[in-house]
Amino acid sequence: MMKITKERALYYLLQMCQIRAFEEQAEKSYMAGKIHGTMHLSIGQEASAVGSLAALEPDDYILSTHRGHGHCIAKGADLNLMMAEFYGKANGYCRGRGGSMHIADVAHGNLGANGVVGGGIPMAVGVGIGLKMQNEGKVLISFFGDGAASTGAFHESMELSTIFQVPVVYVCENNQYAMSFPVNKWTNSQRLASFAACYGMPGKAVDGNDLLAVLEAVSEAVKYTRSGKGPSLVVCDTYRWRGHSKSDRNRYRTQEEIDEWKSKDPIERFIDYTMNKKLLTEHDVENVKAQAIEDIENARLFAESSPDPDVTTLEEGVYAPW
Amino acid sequence: MVREITYLEAVREAMTQEMERDKRVFLIGEDVGKYGGAFQVSFGMLEKFGPERILDTPITELGIAGAATGAALIGMRPIAEIMFMDFTTLASEQLVNQAAKLRFMFGGRATVPMVLRTPAGSGTGAAEHHSQSFENWFVHVPGLKVVMPTTPYDVKGLLIESIRDDNPVIFIEHKLLYKTKGAVPEEPYTIPLGKADVKREGRDLTIVATSIMVQRSLEAAEQLAKDGIDVEVVDPRTLRPLDTETIVQSVKKTGKVLIVHEAVKTGGFGGELAAVIAESEAFGYLEAPIIRLAGREVPIPYNRELEYHAVPQVENIVEKVRELVGLKV
Amino acid sequence: MAKEVIMPKVDMDQETGTVVEWRKKNGEHVTAGEIILVIETDKVAVDVESPGTGILEGIAAQPGDVIPIGTVIAYLLSEGEDLPGRQTSASNLDQETPVLKEEKTFRQPATPLAKNVAAAHGIDLKTVVPSGIGAKITKADVVAKLQGEYSEKTDRKVYASPAARRTGRENQVDLTRVEGSGPKGRIQATDVLTFLERQDRTELPVEPQSIGPEVIPLIGIRRTIAERMTANYQNIPHIKFTSRVIMTEFAAARIKLNERATRFDEQKISATAMLVKLVAATLARHPYLNSSLKENDILLHRDINIGVAVALENGLIVPVVKNADKKGFAEIAEEVNDLSTRARAGKLTNAEVKGGTFTISNLGPFGIEQFDAIINAPEAAILAVGATQFEAIPDDDGIIKSYPVMRMTLSADHRIVDGAVAARFMADLKTILEAPILTAY
Repeated sequence: MMKITKERALYYLLQMCQIRAFEEQAEKSYMAGKIHGTMHLSIGQEASAVGSLAALEPDDYILSTHRGHGHCIAKGADLNLMMAEFYGKANGYCRGRGGSMHIADVAHGNLGANGVVGGGIPMAVGVGIGLKMQNEGKVLISFFGDGAASTGAFHESMELSTIFQVPVVYVCENNQYAMSFPVNKWTNSQRLASFAACYGMPGKAVDGNDLLAVLEAVSEAVKYTRSGKGPSLVVCDTYRWRGHSKSDRNRYRTQEEIDEWKSKDPIERFIDYTMNKKLLTEHDVENVKAQAIEDIENARLFAESSPDPDVTTLEEGVYAPW
Repeated sequence: MVREITYLEAVREAMTQEMERDKRVFLIGEDVGKYGGAFQVSFGMLEKFGPERILDTPITELGIAGAATGAALIGMRPIAEIMFMDFTTLASEQLVNQAAKLRFMFGGRATVPMVLRTPAGSGTGAAEHHSQSFENWFVHVPGLKVVMPTTPYDVKGLLIESIRDDNPVIFIEHKLLYKTKGAVPEEPYTIPLGKADVKREGRDLTIVATSIMVQRSLEAAEQLAKDGIDVEVVDPRTLRPLDTETIVQSVKKTGKVLIVHEAVKTGGFGGELAAVIAESEAFGYLEAPIIRLAGREVPIPYNRELEYHAVPQVENIVEKVRELVGLKV
Repeated sequence: MAKEVIMPKVDMDQETGTVVEWRKKNGEHVTAGEIILVIETDKVAVDVESPGTGILEGIAAQPGDVIPIGTVIAYLLSEGEDLPGRQTSASNLDQETPVLKEEKTFRQPATPLAKNVAAAHGIDLKTVVPSGIGAKITKADVVAKLQGEYSEKTDRKVYASPAARRTGRENQVDLTRVEGSGPKGRIQATDVLTFLERQDRTELPVEPQSIGPEVIPLIGIRRTIAERMTANYQNIPHIKFTSRVIMTEFAAARIKLNERATRFDEQKISATAMLVKLVAATLARHPYLNSSLKENDILLHRDINIGVAVALENGLIVPVVKNADKKGFAEIAEEVNDLSTRARAGKLTNAEVKGGTFTISNLGPFGIEQFDAIINAPEAAILAVGATQFEAIPDDDGIIKSYPVMRMTLSADHRIVDGAVAARFMADLKTILEAPILTAY
């Protein structure tokens, strides 16, 4: 098990709490009728996001999914701008055009969330090709879920990745269900990890709710990839507490199952670990939690007071130049 | 005297010259490397640029399109080749949902400067799965540009321009045009996207045609000239964005218009053109209905004769022009 | 907002204006200040400028119509704007409009010409709609009814190409009268143009088969003269006095004056010009001949403004030499020449035909021995001057001699001028004319 400093511990905990608080606030705002459309919450998957991002350098890239709020926050996104985008406001990350499913900050290495399951994986190949040509030693983490692993896009991308030896770490967050389709009907985390071998790359399955386990596995993969040895795959076994989207009635799983996974809450587990190791005190934890809540509250206020986009600019931004 | 090369050579020259000029440009597609490309378009390019910039792939249309999109997203300028336009069906998720939309979706804070080249069209006996033309599907997507060049001169200029354009461009070549020859300047040059070309001036009727149908229309025009019928042929060159102005001015002048394209008539690009004309100032100058001559309502058949009659040919164009000019419609 | 184009008031005592010619059509874009219309007041044509910029629509007055000033006769619209409230003139011609229209027609007067044309073709005037509020039914309205004016409604019933419809609209052609050469009888633009060409060449189909008279509508100046003369003839009791004048000394004086004029390279002095001065000089001593009757008052004018009748191609106009008593022969000659020239070119201003106090009409150049003229109201009198001819007249000793003789006739308003007053004036004038030097007395 890797060792981390108190500083890092605080940082990771803060990020996970921010993700949790953000998701919960987004949910509240949605139920209060303030958010248009739907959202895909990643409550319960915080460790997978934070642990993976912790393995990256600031100028590395990520490609995210429709359930990618955690990835964005862990990448260091501005919470205000994220919340504003949720609210569809003009000063959100995407100027109100993208919403929850398409948050991006290309300039800071966040190549975007994606509304198509598996939509980002083929792009990851291209990013990898480009990074290799640019030769600056940067890597990409391409996040996707068990649902995407079943697409043709996944397969083609795995092939191409290995053919072109792209500097990409593929992180599969297996949360046990595509939408309602249980992954264990065709595979599981272990078997998904063994896909990698078919494509000539290393693969590993880890407990996705154990932040440090994730961090260790992804760090190893990043190191491998960054050294020019090609792509690799990490499968994080995890669970989402909420339904697929806001309209999910959870008919496909049992309350017992949900409760069981809740008892494996990644945040609580991390807190236990750090307190056991005397890295953090209860006081520290309380502070961090409070901090996260405050940050999210500020984001909410920011978003709610932000202006809506100007309708007359509707057709702008389709083609370059603006 | 400008030298003459084939349409195919012009495509190769455009790619080569751009790759020499800009290190960010690379080519990715099936069999583009060692094989030299299914139609030999990229023959010799692997030797020139090496495997780092001429990327061969297995059968992965979606992968190719996605790779181009991703690379473009972080600043490269890829040219992706899909061997037959028929297979863009497999690539369309990445083209339509991703490449076309990333810029807008991310609030204008992303750019996808890629070109997707693909040969379309029938006449080689390749039948149902290797002969189609889907330009109208991509014209329908905001965020994409769609280019359909006709001559060797146009194809070189337009391809260089497309590579330099910061948007995803669907660049549609025609198999039967690959062998056609024309005068092409040696040095690199560009032709602006969104600008039509009047290939032949005339008084009596306007033909708006795309790709190989421009060639056939010009041939028809020569025949008709012998009978004193003077046909104007307008080649839009870029389908999206469309140079409406040139087309409208031509129709205003002649009062009669025939639209000719290879793709199936129903739901084809001709419907879009007809509506554009009808909605414009040109409406008040029409002496006859707007007529479309296009592909028949069938998949492209195998038998040579059947294949021939499934799409407009020179004699069909001549006949339709006579009908229109003689006010039989 | 639609801008109204009204019949303008350009004269102080003007009550109506007559439409002579529209320079712009319905649908044309006009800019503020552009001339859009020519009207006539009294006998002077006036250009009317557009009051604003926009698209001219809803023209409601046709050439020949006499419109009260202030009446809205057209509108200026912005792009895409509709005519305000009421129907356009085109739809006014629709046969099926309700009772209101019928009512109007009953009470609507028609010009004599309109009545004639209608009668000639068996058209009931009740079915003809006048082309504007307050206007009479004009010949144009009757003709339009005969032709069947172009309207939006008929357009929809024809099978025509868009280009044909546009051509039809632009040229106000009723497409139901055009023969189509296109497939299934579709009307093409070329068909409309052919129709228009034939229109220009042939007589209006409404003309009767026998060679009838050439019809000249009584509009503008002709109409004004007709109405004025009628009124003056009817309202003023004319008394007429003829005097025979021996013109020997007059002629000699004229020669002398013209010798001087030639020497100084100045305007030659016509007989008319001399008459103006000599008459003006005489009028100074006979104020009642230089007066006007206004209701119950006789106004004795202090200024002597002599109107000189000038024959035009299609009428008569009387420019005025103001303060003729105060000007010399040369000055008057120049002025008379200038006024006559400009009168014949149609370039007189309103001011130049107003303010006359006495009129001279000289038909001498036409060889008329003697005639009497109708008084030019509100003046008190008019002098009709005949030709100077040699006649055999016994002198004081009874010996027949040949003298240049001119007969002038004064028509005077008997409400102001009695026989003796007129006679005295004429005697005085005769003396002056027979010895022009006496003006210096």
